[in-house]
Parts: sequence; structure tokens; C-alpha cells
Amino acid sequence: MSQIRRRSLSLLIACAALALAGCGQELKVTRVDAGVVTDLSGRWNDTDSRMVAEAMVKEALEYPWLGNFSQAKGRQPVVVVGTVVNSSHEHISVQTFITDLERELTNSQKVTFVAGKGERDEIRTERKEQAVYASEETQKAPGKETGADYMMKGTIATILDEADGTKAVFYQVDLQMIDLENNTKVWYGQKKIKKVVEKKRTVF
Amino acid sequence: MNPFLLRVAHSIACPSVLITVLLTGCGPSVNRYALIEQNLLAGNPAQAAAVVEQAENEYGDKSRVLYGMDRGLTLQLAGDYRQSTAALEQAEDVVERLYTRTIRSETAAFLTNDNALPYEGDAYEHVMLNVVKALNYAVQGDVQEALVEARRIDHRLNLLSDRVKESGGYRNDGFARYLSGILYEAAGDLNNAFIAYRNAFEAYEAMRGWSRVSPPPSLRADVLCMAEALGLATELDDYRKKFPDVAWKPASSRRQLAQVVMISYNGRAPRKEDRFIDLPISLDALQLVLLNRGLAQSSRYRDRAMDSVLYGLSGRVVRVALPRLVSQKTQVPFETMTLTDAQGAPLAVQSEPVHNLTALAERSLDDRMPAITAKALARAASKFALAEGAAIGAQRAAGRDAGPWVGLLVGMLAKGLAVASEEADKRSWQTLPDEIHMARAWVPAGRYQLTIQPPGHRASMEGGEHMLDLASGQTAFILQRVMQ
Repeated sequence: MSQIRRRSLSLLIACAALALAGCGQELKVTRVDAGVVTDLSGRWNDTDSRMVAEAMVKEALEYPWLGNFSQAKGRQPVVVVGTVVNSSHEHISVQTFITDLERELTNSQKVTFVAGKGERDEIRTERKEQAVYASEETQKAPGKETGADYMMKGTIATILDEADGTKAVFYQVDLQMIDLENNTKVWYGQKKIKKVVEKKRTVF
Repeated sequence: MNPFLLRVAHSIACPSVLITVLLTGCGPSVNRYALIEQNLLAGNPAQAAAVVEQAENEYGDKSRVLYGMDRGLTLQLAGDYRQSTAALEQAEDVVERLYTRTIRSETAAFLTNDNALPYEGDAYEHVMLNVVKALNYAVQGDVQEALVEARRIDHRLNLLSDRVKESGGYRNDGFARYLSGILYEAAGDLNNAFIAYRNAFEAYEAMRGWSRVSPPPSLRADVLCMAEALGLATELDDYRKKFPDVAWKPASSRRQLAQVVMISYNGRAPRKEDRFIDLPISLDALQLVLLNRGLAQSSRYRDRAMDSVLYGLSGRVVRVALPRLVSQKTQVPFETMTLTDAQGAPLAVQSEPVHNLTALAERSLDDRMPAITAKALARAASKFALAEGAAIGAQRAAGRDAGPWVGLLVGMLAKGLAVASEEADKRSWQTLPDEIHMARAWVPAGRYQLTIQPPGHRASMEGGEHMLDLASGQTAFILQRVMQ
């Protein structure tokens, strides 16, 4: 009789242990530096956006077009960022990448950077409203915007290859600096990132 | 009876009855879908989406993908495209994660039923995740983001064609390819549009034996149009010979016009039911099964509970549960889309069937049925063997006097549980339509009144009329839901 009870007790403990083993999930939040590389899913992330923008702007400003322009005109070139087309398999936040490019260009202090199309519309609306509502001495007159000399634009594309749980993602970012006066491409930069994501077929 | 035996019998019987009742109540709730359909029928998709949201716990962790699918589609019909895309994106992420199977879930499913496994969805449902998302972006006029989904569709279908070796199987998707072509054309990428249209035509042709959809005439015209626009003389000649009766205009005539693409979700996707196969392993059991089948007139749940008790008492019946599809066909063969300009001149276009989801669901289940049956048989045999083992073990443990009674009792309960726990996996993306119809029209830029007959529910339309302001080169997507 006591043997049966002992067995029943053991069975109960085993069941409880199994049930508790499934309750191991808990929320864990860790604060990390914004510069830390966090590759969780293999998708395009903040690190990719920042690193590509830094590397490409640095490369763009090292090429002779910058020196040639400054020498010829006696001033820094004025640059505007145009469209970056997302031709990839992911819904990449292109605006974040454009902001990264704009920050790098502005902070380089080697070019004068002007607001892009979306921002310009907002600023022009503000100027129009100033003309109606602001005092005369603080109003900003129209027609005094700085026209850009060059436009930086480009594409983000991906090539995917996948088989048996292993996926290779190849990102290619192409950027061009185009002379707005004559459509000449004065610089063409390319940055590639390759990631391999492996998934296990079975786990316990 | 010995008081100890009574305690043993009581301690086994109580939880067993409880488990039997709980197990027979498993599976997707019929009421949930009835409520969703009722709201969709009443033209209230926002309420249908709310029903799905309220039932989140009912879907449970094992059906996260299904929850995302149902939520995504109902939100799309309600016009909340951003939330719809987010829900579908989550479902797609879970599908990715479910590539990795867990031994725990597989074991639990082998001991109970396939509902213990996380719902992964069928291959055609995975493609539909991207199709619905692409339409969400397209309806909002964001063609570039819709093209991201088109690229994902291409990648998914390429993987599928690598995996499915059978040439006539579901390894390509005509509608998904066709939609991709329209999106590429809307973005001005004629080369990719031609490739997508050509792939769509080939997919329709490869699957026409069972998919119940032929390549739509408008698709044939698109292939000719794009081949001409790209200057592909050889291809153009080939397709001209292949489609001698198709009327088409060169791409240059489309450039200055605006396009309206009407997509109509018609009818309801098929639902799944249990098909129980009771295998008697003695003549008495055969009589019992025949008698029970003859008398079975009551409801599904009562049948299952009664069967569990009867077959448990008999101890010589093994039950296998397999899923079967029940179609819910649309009654609407086509729609007529009419665009009336400011001068009152109408242009009427008839829609074409471009996708038959019932056919895809049937094909998918047929392809999986041999594996489902083999697994169900193996599971039933294992459950029977375990029940027999439990009865013998209990008999020995209870000693010589009480052994036969305890063994009999444990055997009956274990076999009753084995019968009660047998249930087919009836989960599927049930908020999908039975068929998808499409109509396309090219008109000069301007303001148009849109009418569709028979009318369905359109998120962007309140009342019967819908005004469209079309710019030259623009492609406007219109979605509607017809429940009949």
C-alpha cells in the first residue's frame, strides 16, 4: 500500500516538475549602449543604417569632387539628400537612413547641407504664415533659399538565398552624388553587407 | 468494495471525467467564426476585428499565426491598413520561427492530437499573408512598400518550388504573381512587370487541372503589352500565336491613362470538420460501432462525449480523427465595375476570377492527408497500447483481490480518454474568401463615380457611391468584400 502511495507521490512530483519547466519564460530588459551591435533577426537594423551612412559619407567626402568644387568656386558645396529607393525584401525605414546620411554630412563640416524636399515644404508654409502673422522686422522673406549644388541619392537592394533553414542576405547600398547643374555623377559609392541566418530544425 | 479501492477509483474517475469533458471541448470555437461572419455580413468589419481581438486568449499560444491572419484580414476590411499590416507581419514572424520544431510539442501532439502543435498555416496561406499586406500598401497608394511584399512573394514561391518537386502541385501562385506584375507596372518597372506576368501565366497554366482558375484574359493582354513595350519581338510573336483572340493595346496607350484595379473577396473559405473513423478490434465492438453510428443523431459534442463513454466501456474500439473540408462557395460569379466621368459617360468592366482559395485548401489537405492519416493511426495505436499497459499495471499494483476490478476500471477510463482526446486539427485561415475576383480599367485622368454591382462592403466607402480622383499614370486599388 505504502509503495503505491510513494509511486503516486513520485508521479505527482514529476508532473509538477514538468509543468513548472514550462514556466521558465520571463521578461528581461537590459540597457545597452546605442553603439552596441544587436543582430537579432538578421534583418536590416539600426546598426546597419548607422554604419553604412558613416562609411559612405566618409568615403564620399574623400573623393576629389569636393576639392575641385571648393577650388573652382571658393566655397563649400551645398548638398541635399534626395530619394533613397528601397528595392529590398524588407520594409526598411529609409527615412532613418536618410537622417543618418544628413547627420554625417552636416557634422563633417566639409559641405553645406540644405533641407530636403519634405522639410522644405514645411519651412515654406511657415514663411508664408510669418508673412501674415509675424511682425515685419522678424518676418523672413521668400526667395532667399540656398540652392543645392549636388544631390545625393541612391538605392538599398537585397539578394536572398535560402535553403534548409539557412538564409544568406546580401544588402547592397548604392549612393550617387549628382551635379544639379549638368546631371554629372561626380561620385558613386557602394557598400555591401552579407548576413547568414541559420535556423535549427528541431529543439527540445 | 474495499475503501482503498473506492478511493483509487474515485481519484482516477474524477480527473478523467474532467479531462474527457475538457478534451471534447478543444478545438477552434465555431461561435467565434459565426460571429465574425455575422458582422461581415452586416457590413461591420470593425466589429468583426473586435471579435477577433477579444478572442485572443481563446486562440491561445498555439494559434498565434491564425490570430494574426484573422486579425490582419478583418482589420484590412475595416480600413485599418496600418494595424492590419502589423498583425500580418507578426503572423509572418511566427511562421518564420516555427521552422524550428520543438520535441515537447511534437510529443504532446502524439499523445493527444495535432491541436497541441503550433499552427503553422499552409503554404498558400503564407503567400496570402504577403498578398494581403501588399494590398494594404497598394490601397494606400504606397506602391514602393507594396513592392517589398511582391519581392517577398517571389522569394517565398521560389523556395516553395524548390521544396515541392511535383510539377502539378502548389509550387507557384498565379494570383500572387499577377498582383506583383500589376504593382511593378504601377511603379513603372516594366521589365519586372513582364517577368511577373509571364510567371503568373505559367503558374495558372501549370495548376489549371485542379485550381479551377484559367489564366485571365486581362493577364494575356498584359503579357502581350509588356512584351511589346520592352521590344521583345520573339516573345511578342510567340504570345500573339498563343493568344490569337486576345484584344490588347500597346503600353504607350496606357501611359497617359489612370488605372483602377478592383479586387473583390467573394464567399467564405472552406471550414474544416472532424471525420471520425472508429476501428473495432472484436466482433462485439463492430456491433457497437454500427449501432452507435446508426443511433447518432445528436449534436457533435454530445456524440463525442457519448462515444468516449461507450468505447471506453467496450475497450475494443480505436478512434482515428481526420480533418475534412466543407466548402462555402460564393454565389456571385462576377462583378461589374462602372466608372462614370464628369460628363456622365460610363465605362463598365466585368471582373474575372483570379484566385480560388477553396481549391488551394483542398489541394493542400489532399497533399498532407497521407501523412496526417499515418500519424493519426500511429497515435491511436500508441494510445490503445498505453491504455492496455495502464490497465495491466494498475491490476498488478492493486494486488490479487482488487486487481481485476482496478485493472478493468483503469482500462475503461484510459481507453475512454484515448477516444475523447482524438480530434483532428481543424484550424485554417477561415476569414479568407472562397474566390478573389479582379477587374481593371484604364481611363483618362479626372473625377469618376465608381459603382460595383453586386455591391460589397468597401472600407473607404460610406453609402453606395464612391468618388475617385485619378491622376494620369496613377493606379488606384479598390477592395471590397462580398460575403454571398
